[in-house]
Amino acid sequence: MSPAGCSHVNAYKVDNWRQNLRVIYQCFVWSGSAETRRRKVLQNDAGWTALAKSCICHMCGGHLNRLHSCLYCVFFGCFTKKHIHEHAKNKRHNLAIDLLYGGIYCFVCQDYMYDKDMEQIAKEEQRKAWKLQGVGEKFSTWEPTKRELDLLRHNPKRRKMTTNCTIGLRGLINLGNTCFMNCIVQALTHTPLLRDFFLSDRHKCEMQSNSCLVCEMSQLFQEFYSGHRSPHIPFRLLHLVWTHARHLAGYEQQDAHEFLIAALDVLHRHCKGDTTRDDNGKKANNPNHCNCIIDQIFTGGLQSDVTCQVCHGVSTTIDPFWDISLDLPGSSTPFWPLSPGGDGGTVNGESHLSGATTLTDCLRRFTRPEHLGSSAKIKCGGCHSYQESTKQLTMKKLPIVACFHLKRFEHSAKLRRKITTYVSFPLELDMTPFMASSKESRVNGQYQQTVDGLNNDNKYSLFAVVNHQGTLESGHYTSFIRQHKDQWFKCDDAIITKASIKDVLDSEGYLLFYHKQFLEYE
Amino acid sequence: MSKDSQMRAAINQKLIEMGERERLKELLRAKLVECGWKDQMKGHCKDVIREKGLEHVTVEDLEAEITPKGRALVPDSVKKELLQRIRAFLAQHSTL
Repeated sequence: MSPAGCSHVNAYKVDNWRQNLRVIYQCFVWSGSAETRRRKVLQNDAGWTALAKSCICHMCGGHLNRLHSCLYCVFFGCFTKKHIHEHAKNKRHNLAIDLLYGGIYCFVCQDYMYDKDMEQIAKEEQRKAWKLQGVGEKFSTWEPTKRELDLLRHNPKRRKMTTNCTIGLRGLINLGNTCFMNCIVQALTHTPLLRDFFLSDRHKCEMQSNSCLVCEMSQLFQEFYSGHRSPHIPFRLLHLVWTHARHLAGYEQQDAHEFLIAALDVLHRHCKGDTTRDDNGKKANNPNHCNCIIDQIFTGGLQSDVTCQVCHGVSTTIDPFWDISLDLPGSSTPFWPLSPGGDGGTVNGESHLSGATTLTDCLRRFTRPEHLGSSAKIKCGGCHSYQESTKQLTMKKLPIVACFHLKRFEHSAKLRRKITTYVSFPLELDMTPFMASSKESRVNGQYQQTVDGLNNDNKYSLFAVVNHQGTLESGHYTSFIRQHKDQWFKCDDAIITKASIKDVLDSEGYLLFYHKQFLEYE
Repeated sequence: MSKDSQMRAAINQKLIEMGERERLKELLRAKLVECGWKDQMKGHCKDVIREKGLEHVTVEDLEAEITPKGRALVPDSVKKELLQRIRAFLAQHSTL
């Protein structure tokens, strides 16, 4: 089995061979369009002068015996019954193509040959057909390029990921009230897509200075997945954060949520060098269409509908978001309590046993229609005057990683306090009731769950929780992160300990990180 | 050609024309992966290659060894489901 074709294959590669081969793939192997399928059944033209027959064996008329097509003329023959072999011998046509899988058979070498150029054409035609059929991209196994093979040979050290391995777990030294940073770092280094991006070396830095936070992030992933078990000292990261987010500089305790947003912002800005180029090779510099990894993972779209109470005209805007900040009961803004035991909570299987507020409650409050009151009239485009209106927020586009921020720190003019109300949150979350598309299904604020439980697009799994213990004046951040399914660890700066799911779900919860369960190719 | 194989050919043509053949192939592929058949076959292939030696084994060797095993190991449930699909398709396009 030669990996580089054979001399007979090379003999074929003359004149217009590429086009001829493509036609064969398009018409007879991967028939994408209805037109080519008809051709496959009836006849084909495309440069062939001989009379073509339908896609059946020219000797026995069958189609079930591994039909092959001669590469030199219009002849179809069974492989199993050796009809194509006879043809090959009689006409001295050495090559034939398997119509089922597209493999090229050489009758002289008596085996299938793998020629790089032909494989390339076969792959392209298959992709085209999939697109035409509406199948889109399909998973294909990784085939390393020559460079990748070289890299693998020169770096023989390998790490095996087993179901119990602790690779990726590493403590972080507290450099002076930096637990707020450490928790976010733990959450980010355990975001699967982010991890995959950095470990496959996808960041190509275009910054001149060496103050690129994305590069530092990349380094951080290397440290975390190095297999070292000693805690890491993130002094470079801290310095870069101070440089790029001045408001977070200093040794005071900062807000973990603020740090998350600042970090994502800096990463997003420094990623600009990675934005994909459009078809003309120009950089996509539109801030609304950034395609950096941060936007791909974290950016969602929040739809805001303002409905005029008089003419019922709706004005819709969609704004990007990286996180959802949720008000809690007990804050000075009134929480719209939903009766405990209300059926909304059963969408996500949360228990209302103790009457505790659930994450779903908070989300329902977040997405409920709100009367804006007579002191906040909106200029209505339909009525051409100021009218009272209702406003409703819903999710237009869900991010791959959804971060929920429970607003526990109240900084109003009157008081500064921490709200310690327990909010129960689930391991698995279905965001369907809060989508813009589900608005019609909500009657009186209650979501009527349709039988469309088959739609997996909006299902999320918890993978990180950041908690704050203590008061506003003095407190400490810790985090829980999911290493493997149902395997959680508590990260308290340099100390990593195993945690039970109960520990995680019983914790107060400040920042909740959920990851989409099912990912689709674009 | 016997009447049987004539009928077969006609059905096959119709399936191809309507794109149903491709869809059935995809369905079959998904089912065979789901039930672990693909992994089983992969394992068998590796065994054959090890036996015959990587440099000497041909696709025909593999085909000869794997095909009977493969055919036998397709679960009945998968066969049933495919058959149902084809029946439904034929019922819909009853001009045949």
